[in-house]
Amino acid sequence: MVTVGAVRTLGKRERADKQEEASSPVGNIASSADLKTGDRVVYPKQGVYRVTGLEQKDIAGQRLEFVKMTREEDGASVLVPLGKVATIGLRRVATAGDIEGVFHYLGATYGDPELDWKVRHRDNVERLIAGGVLGVAEVVKGLHSLSRLRPLPAKERELYDSSRHLLVNEISVALGVPDVIAEDYVDFALMPPAGVKLPLKTPPTPVELKGPPWKRKKPIVAEDDDLGLAELGIDLSALEGAAEGAAGSEESEEGEGAEGAAPASEEGDEEGEALPAKVVEKVPVEKVPVEKVPVVKAPVVKALAPRKAPPPPPRKPAAKAAPVKKPAPKPTAKPAAKSAPKKKGPPAKKPAPSRAAPPKKGAKPAKGKKK
Amino acid sequence: MIRIVTLATYDEGDITHLSKTLYRSFGVGTEHLGDRALPKKAERSDGRFDAIKLLGDAPPVRAYSDDKVLYITDRELAIPKGPLGEPPAWGYAEQGGDRALISTFRFKPRGVTEASIEIYRRRLARESIHFIGHLWDLHHCYDARCAMHPSWSPSLPDDPEFELDAFCRDRSERRVRLAKT
Repeated sequence: MVTVGAVRTLGKRERADKQEEASSPVGNIASSADLKTGDRVVYPKQGVYRVTGLEQKDIAGQRLEFVKMTREEDGASVLVPLGKVATIGLRRVATAGDIEGVFHYLGATYGDPELDWKVRHRDNVERLIAGGVLGVAEVVKGLHSLSRLRPLPAKERELYDSSRHLLVNEISVALGVPDVIAEDYVDFALMPPAGVKLPLKTPPTPVELKGPPWKRKKPIVAEDDDLGLAELGIDLSALEGAAEGAAGSEESEEGEGAEGAAPASEEGDEEGEALPAKVVEKVPVEKVPVEKVPVVKAPVVKALAPRKAPPPPPRKPAAKAAPVKKPAPKPTAKPAAKSAPKKKGPPAKKPAPSRAAPPKKGAKPAKGKKK
Repeated sequence: MIRIVTLATYDEGDITHLSKTLYRSFGVGTEHLGDRALPKKAERSDGRFDAIKLLGDAPPVRAYSDDKVLYITDRELAIPKGPLGEPPAWGYAEQGGDRALISTFRFKPRGVTEASIEIYRRRLARESIHFIGHLWDLHHCYDARCAMHPSWSPSLPDDPEFELDAFCRDRSERRVRLAKT
């Protein structure tokens, strides 16, 4: 029976090794042999545990061996089968050096938060499991910076709170300070008081995760780009111009593109940073006369908000058409003029002309009715 | 039950206002146990008081299981220096524990006008709710209108709100409900 268990353990270890190759968080525990009684380990998404020993149990006629661990925070105990130790993502508690890197990471300026909630959620979950302490810090930092843009939805608020709890707990264990003080350190880095300059160093690079969200990210943005450009119809000429420009000097385009990208990002700094390389490629259209450059800028902005982009073209003609029709029915002219400034709602416009049309026939009877 | 212990002399009106506010915030009875002597052992060489040591040495008071004790002092507090420096200490609490300490040292002067007294009381209430919130295992909140927002945050107004936001209130209420007594 013991032999069977050993064989199974080896098989799972191999799998675990393969998983670790894909993502390599620091201090990961590769096998149960690395654990000793009294060791402090971090169970992903659970917290800091202390190994209390090995325990054998008969389950379904098999004698299985477990590692027994107790959570320091509340004393909850967990039994992990020996074979699963490598696969659940156990890791050592971060060292003081790692924690210092975490603070430099928290204090550094953060780029754009991921705006697609599905991608963001998958990323965050994956980071919490396989990203090590820096992965937890990434989640906290990412959600914190998102919370500055808008309040977090309920589920992400929960995730923010739990990841903050995990981070604070690990920091307090690593630095040997109470939780409240560790949390003060975290927030001191995240939002330093006015007039305080943090002595920041280059933050460590987080573990790059190779999960599906990262693969899906780029194609989605590229598709949006294409859609936005095609609907505008303006870029066709710009692309021709780019092709002509490409014939002239291919090498210089990259440099020009980089220069051209700067003004484009000036308009929407926050969104511009999230632009993929593809946008930069299209900017070389600079060879086209200067008048067309702003035309290229527009799709750049719209490509970021593809849902908003499609409606505008139909809106404007509708808005112009409405006043033409409105003069005919005199009584409806005033309400139409009032609604004219509200150009934002496309559905509001469409009904307006349809209302204006029937009154032509029905306006007189309506008056007659009133009279 | 929340028991307030003052380590300096405070106006009775301020403490009464604080008791009412804490009762309203957590739905838990609150009472003032009176003044106690400040433990001098916690004083550091720079004249500030070590927050952790001060809370550890604070005079014990009779309290039952699940009671929370809030100590109030007017001395400047200090906490251990972190990797990026020392955050300003407005107080200290045992996360999920039963004792908290706040300092009124960093408050704006109480003054004598109604407006300044009101601001002082509001701030006192806010900091008390904040550190008692830690006793209910609450973490800091990103919402500047919530009392759990860090006290030194640059986004905190001069006269901040002293109520918990919906998320923190739910969590604290859950904790209060789970309490044994």
